[in-house]
Amino acid sequence: MDTSSPAALVNAEIMGMFVGRRVRTVVQVQRSEGGVVVGLSTDGHQLTIKSAMDVPVSHFMEVYGIAENNQAIRAEVCTDFGPNFDAKAFDGLCKLASDKFKHMFL
Amino acid sequence: MYGGGAANSNSLFGGGGFMPSQSTAVPESSGISNSKGRSAHSLLPLTVKQIMDAAQASDDKSNFAINGVEVTTVRLVGRMLGKVERVTDVAFTLDDGTGKIDVNRWENESSDTKEMADVNNGNYVIVNGGLKGFQGKRHVVAYSVRRVMNFNDITHHFLHCIHVHLEHTTPKSQMNANTATPHHANQVPFPNNQATTFSASANAAGDDVSNLVMSVFHHPSVINLEHGVTMEYVLDCLKLPEDVVRKVILYHVEQGNIYNTIDDFHYKSAMNG
Repeated sequence: MDTSSPAALVNAEIMGMFVGRRVRTVVQVQRSEGGVVVGLSTDGHQLTIKSAMDVPVSHFMEVYGIAENNQAIRAEVCTDFGPNFDAKAFDGLCKLASDKFKHMFL
Repeated sequence: MYGGGAANSNSLFGGGGFMPSQSTAVPESSGISNSKGRSAHSLLPLTVKQIMDAAQASDDKSNFAINGVEVTTVRLVGRMLGKVERVTDVAFTLDDGTGKIDVNRWENESSDTKEMADVNNGNYVIVNGGLKGFQGKRHVVAYSVRRVMNFNDITHHFLHCIHVHLEHTTPKSQMNANTATPHHANQVPFPNNQATTFSASANAAGDDVSNLVMSVFHHPSVINLEHGVTMEYVLDCLKLPEDVVRKVILYHVEQGNIYNTIDDFHYKSAMNG
């Protein structure tokens, strides 16, 4: 597990700026097949998470991993955030942390 | 200064430790800490990145400053890694996604031991502790390490970091702007009063017209326009006689409160830089 570099807090839109780099996001699991999870990003896009752990459908899952393109992440660490998570607040945080306050995070 | 008496008293305290003469240092340091006291002793939510970027005071004390604020007690939220349990303490690395920092938790009471047994590698934890620097390496001596049960706490922590950062950075710059151009100090309170004051201002005294004109330039929708606005725009907003407004604008140009931008007809307030 490579935890040497910081991970950018991203939603699907912002992930486009970090392709090939370490990112950190939260998705709501829609379906899970053989280690590949398809989930909804906090800004309403579908993301594919590869080598993900099993998280129940409709739960929120946090993913640390490498952004392979703007729709797929190769997961390093996954955490089940449970069924109750404020996706809107997280989405707002991603926007702040990748823009005006980037210097505090990356 | 002390004469012979001091020599005697010094010999009494010759073994080292606290010397009476050190009391002379108190007024100095208390003068400095007046401005910083509250911040220095309050708990600051931070990202690890902010800690690693923090300036360390040049003296050998382990004082850190972030945004010009002295930092001693911090709150960090991240994942626990590499937990090592020893006889009297537990050491681990905290990774909050922005960086990693070593954390140490002394186990003085059985409740401390119980608290530390409750958290394991991979868990998200909230750490409150003292920020220390030793030989250039920064670490945290934790007062409490709690497992995150509600994952919204993570989002909340980072938003709190941003909020506190803003609190420490924004007011200062506004104060600087006000002191640098004292004329604005009187005008700042009037930015949004246009609608209520227009009708009454037809025969207003010069100062009121001046405030009204500046309130147009300071309106949120205007102040950030790169090219500023024309006099016609101001006239249209205020519905005041052209010669009156022209006079006021020229006065403020002379005072340096507003300036021409792309041509002789566009004006912009100097307030936002």
